[in-house]
Amino acid sequence: MFNDFVAPSLYPAAPEIFLLFMACVILLVDLGVKSPRRTLTFVLTQLTLLGCAAITLLTSNTEVVYTFSGMFVDDMMADLLKLLVYGAVMLALFYSREYIQDRQAIPKGEYFVLALLATLGMLVMISANHFLTLYLGLEMMSLSLYAMVALNRESAISTEAAMKYFILGALASGLLLYGMSMIYGATGSLEITEVGERLYTYSVDKSVLVFGIVFLVAGLAFKLGVVPFHMWVPDVYHGAPTSVTLFIAAAPKLAAFAIVMRLLVSGLITQAADWQGMLIVLSVLSMGIGNLVAIAQTNIKRMLAYSAISHMGFMLLGIVTGVVGGDARFALNAYSSAMFYVVTYVLTTLAGFGLIMMLTRAGFESDELDDFKGLNKRSPWFAAMMMFVMLSMAGIPFFVGFFAKFSVLQAVVAAGYYWLAVAAVLFSLVGAFYYLRVVKLMYFDEPKIQEPIEGPLFIKVLVSANGLAVAALGLFPQFLMSLCAYALMRSLT
Amino acid sequence: MDFKTTVFFFLSAILIFAGLRVITARNPVHAVLHLILAFFTSAGLWLLLQAEFLAMVLVMVYIGAVMVLFLFVVMMLDINLDQLRQGFWKYLPLGAVIGILIAIEMGMVLGSRYFQVLDSEVPGVAANASNTRELGALLSTDYVYPFELAAVVLLVAIVAAVALTFRGPKKTRYTDPAAQIRVKAADRVRVVKMPVEKQD
Amino acid sequence: MEMQKLYLLVALAPLFGAAVAGLLCRVIPRWLGHTVTIAGVAVSFIGSVLVFQDVMAGNTFNGPVYTWMTTGDYSFHVGFLIDSLTATMMLVVTFVSLMVHIYTIGYMHEDPGYNRFFSYISLFTFSMLMLVMSNNFMQLFFGWEAVGLVSYLLIGFWYTRPTAIFANMKAFLVNRVGDFGFILGIGLVLAHFGSLDYATVFAKAPEFANTTINIWGAADWSLMTVVCICLFIGAMGKSAQVPLHVWLPDSMEGPTPISALIHAATMVTAGIFMVSRMSPLFEMSTTALSFVLVIGAITALFMGFLGIIQNDIKRVVAYSTLSQLGYMTVALGASAYSVAVFHLMTHAFFKALLFLGAGSVIIGMHHDQDMRNMGGLRKYMPITWITSLLGSLALIGTPFFAGFYSKDSIIEAVAASHIPGAGFAYFAVLAGVFVTAFYSFRMYFLVFHGEERFGKAHHDEHTGDHDDEEVSHDHHHGLAPGQKPHESPWVVTLPLVLLAIPSVLIGYVAIEPLLYGGYFEGVIHIDKVAHPVMEELAHEFHGPLAMVAHAFRTAPFWLALSGVVVAWFFYMKRPDIPAAIQRRFSGLNAILENKYFFDKINETVFAGGARLLGRGLWRGGDVAVIDGFIVNGSAKVVGWMAAVVRYFQTGYVYHYAFTMIIGLLLLLTLWVRV
Repeated sequence: MFNDFVAPSLYPAAPEIFLLFMACVILLVDLGVKSPRRTLTFVLTQLTLLGCAAITLLTSNTEVVYTFSGMFVDDMMADLLKLLVYGAVMLALFYSREYIQDRQAIPKGEYFVLALLATLGMLVMISANHFLTLYLGLEMMSLSLYAMVALNRESAISTEAAMKYFILGALASGLLLYGMSMIYGATGSLEITEVGERLYTYSVDKSVLVFGIVFLVAGLAFKLGVVPFHMWVPDVYHGAPTSVTLFIAAAPKLAAFAIVMRLLVSGLITQAADWQGMLIVLSVLSMGIGNLVAIAQTNIKRMLAYSAISHMGFMLLGIVTGVVGGDARFALNAYSSAMFYVVTYVLTTLAGFGLIMMLTRAGFESDELDDFKGLNKRSPWFAAMMMFVMLSMAGIPFFVGFFAKFSVLQAVVAAGYYWLAVAAVLFSLVGAFYYLRVVKLMYFDEPKIQEPIEGPLFIKVLVSANGLAVAALGLFPQFLMSLCAYALMRSLT
Repeated sequence: MDFKTTVFFFLSAILIFAGLRVITARNPVHAVLHLILAFFTSAGLWLLLQAEFLAMVLVMVYIGAVMVLFLFVVMMLDINLDQLRQGFWKYLPLGAVIGILIAIEMGMVLGSRYFQVLDSEVPGVAANASNTRELGALLSTDYVYPFELAAVVLLVAIVAAVALTFRGPKKTRYTDPAAQIRVKAADRVRVVKMPVEKQD
Repeated sequence: MEMQKLYLLVALAPLFGAAVAGLLCRVIPRWLGHTVTIAGVAVSFIGSVLVFQDVMAGNTFNGPVYTWMTTGDYSFHVGFLIDSLTATMMLVVTFVSLMVHIYTIGYMHEDPGYNRFFSYISLFTFSMLMLVMSNNFMQLFFGWEAVGLVSYLLIGFWYTRPTAIFANMKAFLVNRVGDFGFILGIGLVLAHFGSLDYATVFAKAPEFANTTINIWGAADWSLMTVVCICLFIGAMGKSAQVPLHVWLPDSMEGPTPISALIHAATMVTAGIFMVSRMSPLFEMSTTALSFVLVIGAITALFMGFLGIIQNDIKRVVAYSTLSQLGYMTVALGASAYSVAVFHLMTHAFFKALLFLGAGSVIIGMHHDQDMRNMGGLRKYMPITWITSLLGSLALIGTPFFAGFYSKDSIIEAVAASHIPGAGFAYFAVLAGVFVTAFYSFRMYFLVFHGEERFGKAHHDEHTGDHDDEEVSHDHHHGLAPGQKPHESPWVVTLPLVLLAIPSVLIGYVAIEPLLYGGYFEGVIHIDKVAHPVMEELAHEFHGPLAMVAHAFRTAPFWLALSGVVVAWFFYMKRPDIPAAIQRRFSGLNAILENKYFFDKINETVFAGGARLLGRGLWRGGDVAVIDGFIVNGSAKVVGWMAAVVRYFQTGYVYHYAFTMIIGLLLLLTLWVRV
C-alpha cells in the first residue's frame, strides 16, 4: 500500500543531518579526550558549526523547497536564520570557553554536545512546516537548555533555575500542544502551509480555531519570554551559569522568531485580527513590566533578563503590524523590521554577555552592577564596548538598536497604531534610564576591583569585533536590513 | 445502548475515578497504583477504537516499564505528600476559580459541538488489516522525519541525564603514579608569611 | 577645494580632535590633548569662514552626503543644507567654541579630567555643527540629541559633587519632556508629508494649510498648528523656556567654559535656530506664533526678576541667559526670525564674554562664586574688568553696542506685531530692559567696585539660599584672609579680548545687511500679508547711526539707564536699601527665592500626580534622582522596587505557573467568542 512512496530528498536537510552526525561523533570522541581543556572537543564543535554554515550556504537557493512529505521547509528565511544561529552559537561557545574552564563542576565534553543538540533543535524549529516537527524541535532545544542550565552541579541556584525552567517549560509545551490539537480539530491538518490553505478555502469553526490560537500564542509567548509568560526569564538568566545565560539569550530568540513566523504568519494569517490583538496585549505588558522592573535590579544578568523581556515585546510590535484589516501592503516591511530587530538584539546581547564573561574569573561571577563600577579605569577599551552595547539597547541614535527600534516603530505607525507607537517610545525612554545607569557606573564611579581585565587575546579581539559591529551596523544598517527584507520576500509569497 | 457503548461508559467511569484518586490519594503508592489502573482502562478504550497496537504498547511500555520504575522510586524515596500539599488549601480557592472559569470557557466553545456521543463516522477497518503494520509503514515513510527527531530527543535526554548525574569515578581510591611523580613541594606545602606580633 | 569636501571637513575636524583626546585621554599628555582639539576647532573655524565667503558669493548647497538607511518608503540621509542661516550659525559656533577651547587651557588647568573635558567640548562642537548644517529632520534630531548628551555629560563633569549629578539628571529628564514633543512633531511631519527633507516638506507645506486632524474628542485642530507647537515644545526644552527652563540654572554646576559655550552661546540657541529654519511652517499658523510669543515674553520678564536676587555670580548670568532667550523667542513669535537670529548672534558673543569673564573672576577668587565676598576687583583684574564692562553694556543695550541693535529691533518688532498676545509681549520686553540693566549692573558693581569684601571668612554668613549652600560645600575655597586676587593668565584673558571685539562691533556692522539687506532671502519665509512686521521695521530703518540717534528718544534707552542708576544707587550708594526692601517684601522675596516654585511644582504636582498614575516609574526616577542614581546601596529605592518585584517574582514555581494560567485565562476571556 505504500508502493507509491518516494524517498524524500535529504538535500535540503543536509545541515541538520551533518550536525546530528557530528554531534554523535563528538560524543564518542570526547570519551577519549583526557585533557581537562577538551581542546579537541571544542575545536570539533566549532568546525561542525562552520561545516553546517558551509553546507547551508552551498545548498541555499532562492526557491522554497519542501521535503519529508511537506514537514520540512527550506526557504531563504530559514537559511538566513540558520546562518545567524550558527554564528550566535559559535560566538557564545568562544566566549564560554574560559568561563567553563574555570568552573570545575561543569562537565566540559557534554557542554559542547548539548549545545550542538540544542542548535539542532533550533534548526528543526526554523525549518518546521508541521506541528509535530515544530514541537519536536522545540522540545529538543528546550531539553538541552534545561540540562545546560543545571550543568553547574555545585550551584544550588542553577539547579533551582533549571527546575523552574523545566516545569514551566513543560506547562508551556502542554499549552502549545493543546493549541495545536485544537487547530488540528478545526482544520483537519497538521501541516502548517496546509492549515493556511484550508483556512482560505474552507469555512472552519471559528471559535474552536481561536480557542486553539490562544493556547498556541501562550506557548509561543513562553518561548519568547513575554509577559505574563515571562516569569522564568529572570530566574533562569540569573541562576544559569553566565555562559549558558548567554547561550539562552541569543540563538533561541532567532528560533523563537522563526516559529512565530511559521505558525502565525504562514499558518494562521487569515486569523491575523485575533492573534494580533493578543500579541498587542502581550507586547505592551512586556515593554511596561520589563522596563520598569529592570530599573530595580542590582544584578546585571537579571537586569538584562528584564531587558530581554521588553525587547521581545518590542519585537512583537513588528509582527503585530504586518496585516491591518486585510491590507497586507506593509507586511513585508513589518516582518522584516521584526526580523532585523531580533537579529540585532541577538548581536548586541552576545556582545553584552561576552563582556560580562570577560570580567569573570574562577570563583568570581562579576554579575552585580557594582562590579561594573569604574570599568573605564580598568579598561577604557572594554568600557567603551560595553557602552556601545548599552547605548544600542537603549536605542540611542548611531547604534544599531536605534534603527531596529525605529524600523519597528515605523511599521507600527504605517499600520496606524499611533497610541502603540507612543507607548513603545515612552517605555523605551524608561528603559534608557537603566542602560545609561550602567554607562554612568562604568565612567563616573570609582572601581571596587582594581585588577586589569585578563583573557586570551583571541577572545578579546572577538568581543571587540562584536562590540564594534554593534556600532558599525548603526552606521551601515542598510545591508542587513535589505538582507532580512529579501529573505522574507523570497519566503513569504 | 449496545454492548460497545456499555463497555465504553464502564471503562470511562473507572478512568475518571482512577484519575481523581491519583491526585487525591494520601498514600503515594496508592496514587501510583491508581495511575496504573487509569492506564489500563485507557488501553481498554483504545481497544474499543480498534487501535490494538497502541493499547498493547501502552500496557507494555507505560505499565510494564515506566510505572514499575515509578513505584520503585515512590517506595524508596518515602515522599511525604502532606508536606507537598501544605499550600494546597491556601491556593485551592484561586486555583479552583481559575480552573472552573477555564473549564466553562472550554465547555462553551467545545461542549455543544464536540462533547456528544456521535454515531461513529470513522470508516470501518477490514478485519484482517494490521494496525501494527500500518503504523510501522507510516512511521518509516511519511513520518520518518518526526520519528527520527523523537529519537534525537531521547538521545538528548540520555546525554542530559548522564551529564547531570554522573560524577565520575571519584569514590574509588586509587593511586596515580604519574601524578605522584609530577608533584612539587610547592603543591604540598604553602608557606604563609605573617608579621611577628609584638608583645606589649 | 571642492565645497562639499570643505563642508565635511568643517564638521569632522572637531570630531577627530574629540576622538583622539577622548579615546586616548589616559595615554596622551595634556599639551597634546588641547593642541589636537584646538587644531580641530581652528580648522573648522577657518573652514567656516571660507564657507561663509562662498555663501556670500551666492553659492548655496543642499544635498545628501550619505544615505543611511531605507525603511519602507522612507530613506534617511546625512545631508547638508548650506545657506546664509547655516553659514552664520557655523561662524558663531566655531568662533565661540575656539575661544572657549583656548580659555579652557587656563580654567581647567588643575583638573584631573583635562583631556576628557577637551574631548567633550570638541564632540559638542561637532554635534552642534551637524545640527545646524542638517538638511533634514532626522539629522537635526540626531544633532539635537547629541548636543543634549554632551551637555548632560558636561553638567555632571564634576561627578563627585552630588549637586552636579542632581543637576545633570534634572537636565536629562526635563529635556526628555521637550524631546517628546519634538519627536512627536517630527513624527507628524513624516506621517503627513511623507518626507523628512526640509526642502520637500517646505514645498509641500502649503498643501496642508487647511488640513485638520483630530487629536482628542471631536475638536479639529489645524495640522500646522499642532506640528508647530510640538516642534516648539522641543525648542522649549532645549532653549529653556518657561516652564521647561528649570534645568538651565542648575546646569551651572558644570565648569564655566561649558556654561559659556553650551548653556549660553550655542546649544540653548538650537531651539531658536530650529524655529527660524522652520519658518515656512510656523508662518502658516498664527496660533502657534502667538503661543511662541507669549511663552517667550513670560520667560524674558520673569526670569529676569530672578537674576536680581541671585548671589552666585554664575547664576546671575544664567538667569540673564534665560531672559535673553526669552527675547529671541519673542522675536520668533513676532515673525521677526532674522531679528531673532541676529540677537542670537550678538548674544552668543557678549554672553560668552560675560560667562568667561565670570569664570575669570572665579579663578581669581579661587573658586568662590559668591558675589557678596567680592568687590573692588577692578584694581586687581583690569582686563577682566574692562571686558566684563563691555559685555554688560552690550547686554543692557547701550546704544552702539551689539546688544542694542538686536534688542531694540526685537522691541520694535513686537511693537509692530498684531497677533494675539503681542500687547503683553511688548510690555514684557520693555519692562525686561529695566530689569536686565538692573541685575547686570548690580552684578558689575558688586564684583568690581565698592568695598573689598574678599579674604574674610564670610562663609558662615550665608542665609537662606540653599543652592548656594550646596555649592559652598566642596568646591568653594575662596581666598584666605589677606590673600589678594590676581589677573588670570593670558590664555584666559585673550579669549575675553577677542570676544569683546564682536560684542561691541558686530551689531553696527551686521544689522543692515542681516535684517534689511536680503541676507536671509529664500531661507526665512515670512507671510508678508499676515505678519508684516519686518516690512514695517524696514520702513522705519535708516541706517545704524540713525538708529543710535533715534534711541535717545525712545523708552528702552531710558529704562536701561534708570536700571543702571538704580543699581548704582542701591549697591554703591545705599546698600541698606535692598536689604530693607528684602525685609519689607518678604513674601515677594520668598517667591523669587524659590524661583516661582517651579521646582516645587514639578516635584509635587507632576511627580505626585504621576505617582498616583503609575507609582512605578516616577517614584523610581524621583528617588533615584535624589540619591544620585539608585545604585550603591540606595536601600530605599531598591527596597521599594524590590517589594513590588517580590510581589510577583516570588521564586515559587507555582506562582509562576499561576501567572501563566491567569494570563491564558485573560486571553481566552478576551478573544474567544462562541
